[in-house]
Amino acid sequence: MYRYDEFDERFVRERVAQFGEQVKRRLDGSLTEDEFKPLRLKNGLYLQLHAYMLRVAIPYGTLSGRQLRQLAKIARDYDKGYGHFTTRQNIQFNWPKLKDVPAILDLLADVEMHAIQTSGNCIRNTTADQFSGVAADEVEDPRPTAELLRQWSSQHPEFVWLPRKFKIAVTGAEHDRAAIRVHDIGLRMRRNEAGEPGYEISVGGGLGRTPMIGKVIREFLPKDELLAYVEAIMRVYNAEGRRDNKFKARVKILVHETGTEEFTARVEEEYAKLDGPTVNAPLEEVERIAAYFAPPAYEDLPAESVTLGEARKADAGLDRFVEQNGFAHKQPGYIALTISLKPIGGVPGDMSADQMEAFADIAERYSLGELRVTHSQNLVLPYVKKDDLPALYAELKTHDLATANAGLVTDIIACPGLDYCALATAKSIPIAQEIAKTFADDARQKAIGELPIKISGCINACGHHHVGAIGILGLEKGGRENYQITVGGDATEHASLGERLGPGIDAEDVPGAIEALVETYLSEREGSESFIETVRRTGADPFKASFAGFIETRAAQEAAE
Amino acid sequence: MAKDHRAGSKVKGDKLPAIVMASDLLEGDTVFLAETGWTRDSKAARIAHDQESADAMEAEGKAAAAANAVVDPYLVPVEITEEGHPLARHFRDVMRQKGPSIHPDMGKQADFGPIA
Amino acid sequence: MTVITPEGERRDAYRLIETTEDAKAPAGNAAGSKPLVPLALLGEIETPEAPFGLFVENTAEIAEIAPHLGSVDLIAIAFPAFSDGRGFSLAKRLRREGFTGTLRAKGPLIADQFADALACGFDEVDIPDTMANRQPVQQWLEMKDTMSVHYQTGFGEGKSILQQRMAAREEAAR
Ligand code: SF4
Repeated sequence: MYRYDEFDERFVRERVAQFGEQVKRRLDGSLTEDEFKPLRLKNGLYLQLHAYMLRVAIPYGTLSGRQLRQLAKIARDYDKGYGHFTTRQNIQFNWPKLKDVPAILDLLADVEMHAIQTSGNCIRNTTADQFSGVAADEVEDPRPTAELLRQWSSQHPEFVWLPRKFKIAVTGAEHDRAAIRVHDIGLRMRRNEAGEPGYEISVGGGLGRTPMIGKVIREFLPKDELLAYVEAIMRVYNAEGRRDNKFKARVKILVHETGTEEFTARVEEEYAKLDGPTVNAPLEEVERIAAYFAPPAYEDLPAESVTLGEARKADAGLDRFVEQNGFAHKQPGYIALTISLKPIGGVPGDMSADQMEAFADIAERYSLGELRVTHSQNLVLPYVKKDDLPALYAELKTHDLATANAGLVTDIIACPGLDYCALATAKSIPIAQEIAKTFADDARQKAIGELPIKISGCINACGHHHVGAIGILGLEKGGRENYQITVGGDATEHASLGERLGPGIDAEDVPGAIEALVETYLSEREGSESFIETVRRTGADPFKASFAGFIETRAAQEAAE
Repeated sequence: MAKDHRAGSKVKGDKLPAIVMASDLLEGDTVFLAETGWTRDSKAARIAHDQESADAMEAEGKAAAAANAVVDPYLVPVEITEEGHPLARHFRDVMRQKGPSIHPDMGKQADFGPIA
Repeated sequence: MTVITPEGERRDAYRLIETTEDAKAPAGNAAGSKPLVPLALLGEIETPEAPFGLFVENTAEIAEIAPHLGSVDLIAIAFPAFSDGRGFSLAKRLRREGFTGTLRAKGPLIADQFADALACGFDEVDIPDTMANRQPVQQWLEMKDTMSVHYQTGFGEGKSILQQRMAAREEAAR
């Protein structure tokens, strides 16, 4: 893991003090609310429906046990005993008080953490594959790139007053688990024909009101030119992105309105003019950062564990857990594990302070002290010895952290929605809870297989509904909450946007509608096709038909009542 | 979460009676304009039954915002319950008035009990 | 309007020319003597004696400004709102174009942006008096210095963190 040096430390400490000053100046009237708001947002502080909300950055989703323990302390001392992991690999506290925020930021700084630029019209936390460094299909580790970008983008003097927020994601694997094509900038690490390392760069992906898939503007950028090239993109966007309408201010609209070719030309022109070598990080710096992400001291182990094999035969629960939540590791004898924060009926992504503390211990004992946060609001233990799995599983169970549903129909992504969010048009979490209850049966979930459902409580799409195999968007219609359903969205390297099935429906009808769609899939599927593969082959029509059928039946039932 | 705030909720028809709701600047929780000052208990909220009082209350709210006491005050159309308490008519305002639906143990509903 | 530099408040030596009529008025000593001419007006009035000040929108193209770089000693870039960051990129580009005169950010900026403005190449800000009343010059000077380190090479004075690390490594290797 990356560790702060004296400069990082000083930077974060001074930033905390700066925010303390800003709070004081807000309270004494030097800053108006309109002026203070973007300043507090750039420090992750929102004002939500019931309270302030503080969003803490978890750079590229990597946490140490020590850090998680500190988050538990903050949750307990300054919040109501829990935190919420988000779709951008961050954590949110839902109940802090403005006057306590500087103290919370100090506690974060104590463990090399911060809330810098987790919100606001600036470059946000750079996200990466949660299996970075351990995935068997990895070409190159994206974390050094993400860390370099984290540093470079932190309080960048020129790019903190952008037209709109700006999100960067990096992946280094064949299978894209970082959803790079729906980010403002997506970086895919690759090698050119000569075998030199570099990036394929896409720009202008994004969800929200106008979802778009990013366009590749550079097939190959040599690795050491990254910062200068990103600066060129940012400068073009900062100068030319629309500021007249906040719904058209994201870079995706600029790319769309200018045309990919013209946009690319402008970036290349800017890039040609700027003095790359002065902007780029020197090789030694890149290497210094990369050294922190060197593989840990693995033990030499046989690929298969006899202990685990026997335990799996004896314990069906363990067997199921490993099958569903296990992930192939680079290193023989090791496994990466998804720890689901989606127990049936729970709040997706929520974790109690007690669980955090227990899990910090677990990570220290079983995963070299490290854990990851995924964009599907789950956690990952990246370095587990297969031999340890039986004991680890038993511990996870005592803390209600052994739900074997990673990737299944009950592993639902849901944004906070109307239960917390000031922008929401409808509830999101209760919908997830009801769907999960409907499909609670293990055998049924297993039979349905992989099915990412994603729910947003408004058009801003924090729940990534556009790229859910089934997407659910909560809106307000005629003074009621109303839910639109889409199928066919995909956030991976096959990125696609979901297609709407028909008119919106009431909250209580959502689980039934999802059941109807699942039935359609089960009857249409060929061989071992997953839900999304079936939709890709059949198109949305069969699903539209069953959805229409469901609505008709419901209308008839209501008429009869 | 994209933007930080959504202005008052839309309710069809008559906007009265109404109360004024805002967020406390320091604590961030929901507060209601009372007979004097602000209250955290919506049962103690001052109720405007005519436009003139509503306008006056809105102005009072804005003045409190200008004086850095509260943030984003706005008029909330309510109905009056059997026991005479104001209850917001829009589901979003109800959420603010009561607390998160998924956590009955948190927010105003936990501090001041149900509204009947 | 109040002009603030890293050294503190300064008397404004420039007088904004808003109309062709203004341009004809004799330069009094009271409100600054050098004319500050909006780019759009430059073609319509008799070109003032160099050096003068040029006032540009934050959407101005470098190509439009470049021909005047030799005859102006100050360029003021408009900030229509503090949250509109286009001026920062324009400043950066003007510096790259070789402009060595004074760069001024003109509009309702806030003290919290002072350090960023300076790092992007500005020398001073010119803020409305209403803002200066709320955020007096002292706040600007304090907020300017809240951060003593920055990561970005090529911005601001002093070495970036990356450069300082390099220097430390070289020192250690010696
Ligand atoms: S999608 Fe909308 S409701 Fe959900 S968290 Fe984002 S802004 Fe809030």
